[in-house]
Amino acid sequence: MDFARRGVLAGAAAAFGLLGPARPLIAAPLDKVRELGVLRVGLYNDNRPWSWEEGGRARGIDADLARAIAEALGVKADLAFFTADEDVSDDLRNVIWRGGLLGFRPCDLMMHAPFDMRFAAKEERVVFVAPYAREEFTAICSTQTKDCDMPPQRFVGKKVGAELDSIPDFYLMGSFGGILKSDVVHFPTGYEAAAAVQDGAVEMAVASRAEIEAALFDRPDLAARQRKSPLPMMMSDGWDIGMAVRDDSRSLGNAVEDIVAAMAEDGRLAALFARYGVTWQPAAATQVTA
Amino acid sequence: MKAMHKILLATGAGIGLALSVPALAEGPGWDDILNDAKTTDQVVSYGMGPWQQRFSPLEKINTQNVAKMVPAFAASLGGEKQRGQQSQPIVYDGTIYVTGSYSRVFAFDARTGEKQWEYNARLPDGIMPCCDVINRGVAIHGDKVIFATLDARLVALNRKTGKVIWNKVIGDYKAGYSATAAPLIVRNMVITGNSGGEFGIVGAVTARDVETGELIWERPVIEGHMGTLNGKDNGITGGAANKTWPGDTWKTGGGATWLGGTYDPGTNLVYFGTGNPAPWNSHLRPGDNLYTASTLAIDADTGVIKWHYQTTPNDGWDYDGVNEFIPFDGTFNGKPMKMGAKADRNGFFYVLDRTNGKLLNATPFVMQPNWASKIDIKTGRPVYNKDNRPGAPAGSEQGKTVFATPAFLGGKNWQPMAYSPDTEMFYIPSNDWGMDIWNEPIAYKKGAAYLGAGFTIKPLVDTHIGALRAVDPKTGEIKWEYKNNAPLWGGVLTTRGNLVFTGTPEGFLKAFDAKTGEELWKFQTGSGVIGSPVTWEQDGEQYVAVMSGWGGAVPLWGGEVAKTFKEISQGGSLWVFKLPK
Repeated sequence: MDFARRGVLAGAAAAFGLLGPARPLIAAPLDKVRELGVLRVGLYNDNRPWSWEEGGRARGIDADLARAIAEALGVKADLAFFTADEDVSDDLRNVIWRGGLLGFRPCDLMMHAPFDMRFAAKEERVVFVAPYAREEFTAICSTQTKDCDMPPQRFVGKKVGAELDSIPDFYLMGSFGGILKSDVVHFPTGYEAAAAVQDGAVEMAVASRAEIEAALFDRPDLAARQRKSPLPMMMSDGWDIGMAVRDDSRSLGNAVEDIVAAMAEDGRLAALFARYGVTWQPAAATQVTA
Repeated sequence: MKAMHKILLATGAGIGLALSVPALAEGPGWDDILNDAKTTDQVVSYGMGPWQQRFSPLEKINTQNVAKMVPAFAASLGGEKQRGQQSQPIVYDGTIYVTGSYSRVFAFDARTGEKQWEYNARLPDGIMPCCDVINRGVAIHGDKVIFATLDARLVALNRKTGKVIWNKVIGDYKAGYSATAAPLIVRNMVITGNSGGEFGIVGAVTARDVETGELIWERPVIEGHMGTLNGKDNGITGGAANKTWPGDTWKTGGGATWLGGTYDPGTNLVYFGTGNPAPWNSHLRPGDNLYTASTLAIDADTGVIKWHYQTTPNDGWDYDGVNEFIPFDGTFNGKPMKMGAKADRNGFFYVLDRTNGKLLNATPFVMQPNWASKIDIKTGRPVYNKDNRPGAPAGSEQGKTVFATPAFLGGKNWQPMAYSPDTEMFYIPSNDWGMDIWNEPIAYKKGAAYLGAGFTIKPLVDTHIGALRAVDPKTGEIKWEYKNNAPLWGGVLTTRGNLVFTGTPEGFLKAFDAKTGEELWKFQTGSGVIGSPVTWEQDGEQYVAVMSGWGGAVPLWGGEVAKTFKEISQGGSLWVFKLPK
């Protein structure tokens, strides 16, 4: 890769600030969004079932939720797909606080940002709002697998799938003494890894719960099963998904938070997830009582 | 050199020389490019000759008079697109061709600096280039100037009008492919590498017909991938998959060839460096991971790999092996040899037999590289310091912090070195820095939990980061060094006038005595100099030209290093110098 990934770097934000162009079009706080009548929302490319383009239309849980938020604000939704960069810090810079170097305009709101206090502490230019779901990694296996819940190392010698350069990838390649290293087949997304189990290309795949549930829902005729017990020694115990706005757009963030809270309350959020076959699980952050 | 020329003509005879004849009448042909190192009235190749030694036999400007050198003119690239300018000027028939940030090409009158034309590539707004929106220059051939764009196209423009002659997609920018290097011309072919910061890419070298842009051969650089020649399969790189990669990791192994290559007419080999392997964490891909972090010698006619030399097997530090491999002739251990040298990202300076890739010598050219204690000359392999390899991804704990040198930006990054056959020294624009590196459990990628790596780059001493070093390739001995506060990021030029030129981020173009390193001249260009200077003769006078415009990869990283360049302003200008009359 050209000059290497950008990792978590002290002072990186300051350096970008120096270099950045003179803020062409600034992401808008609430009154500005209402005045313009448009809410510009950033969505990840190829992130099924959360957001993807199909026949020129934005599909997925995040796309539908973005439309619902715009509707509740009484404005039009301008859904802008972006390609994931090397990590979410890069995405926040490209999508929220600076924009792309080649003209990608900053968005008012970015869907599918992690909601994690420790991560948030390092991101000074954005505010994280409206945690709307919880995700975790699990597995899907073929109907030929005798015991879907057996420890992953027992799949040795059979093909197992994971998204390239993801925790499931590191988990299958590196855990259990690396015994599965030669058996791992890599896919561009976890959804495709799950679909490969249905297609018989691999016997088991590790992916996010939403990716696996959606794959099973989309092609129910193809037999495959979801793992029920937790994955032993999995490096992540799950994470909350929220949204991001610029640090000077708290008014918009607050309004979005109210809208999403109401949708969670009256069941619209769970129904929205169900359209894609995904069980809505509330974010852990919303379950903590003060 | 003369004998070499003959051999070349013999090997090139069947390769469509006849086809390119019509173009010769309209501009520089292969003979001009082949002789670029010897001719003084033009600069018609990146690196000033196929070997790219960046040496000029001109001596009108020399150690005695360089102090008097003054600007002839400056020409602005204009607009709001003032970012990193890493281009090397090309000079032909009274015109200077340069590329600018954001995939632009400019033609300026070489006598007056007046703009003749400008070409702006229309770039899709969805590209997210990893490391600034730079470009390193055009190739020139016949009626065309050819350059690569950030959205991974190769574009041939009419050199007189700037109008597009052909425009070929060479990679899918949506999949993360990009292109920034100056193309290499070999006879009727335009040869390029590829680049991309994303996972899933596989490095490759491709040769196209310079008249049409149609593919002639392609050589993927990762073991297991099939090459092609004239549309037919032409052998699997490395013979088979899985020899040095576990599982299917070879399919997405990385190794981008983003810096382009050099050419040796005598052996008819093109030399391309390859990038680091993917995934980043070396513990997930035990094995040498061929041919990442290597120099490959590829037959120019067929795209077949003749030899390889891997500088960092199983790279775990992001020590890209893309650096230029510069052929030179000389004696080694008393024997006349055909050699080549490379100053690697990993901090070692390698001298190889360029006919077979055998290691002759490897010595550090930066302060205290600590990832390896030395390079074993017998085996050609590094002797690793195991403690300085970053750890395996471990989950919820941060894990130990490793301090490794050089930093991942390298002992030398993209900026090309120069070789003087007069002094028999290489002039290496190097940097002394290290990095703290640790596993970062609180990381997210594409909105999902992830295990990343955290870094901070640190200077090794408070006196400098950049160091221009004169290295004797016979011994690896550093003969002199010039220390610079900010990291050096521009190319080097050396001349028979016993001079070495290079730019600094602080904005100066500087001239040094090639034998002693004494600084003889400097000029403030108004922004950082990270381009590569050239020299030529015109109307009886010697000229020197360089681009000015701060940017590139260095400003993307912060920390202590950022203190050295935080006051530097952006820019975008061509500066041309000469002696006063």
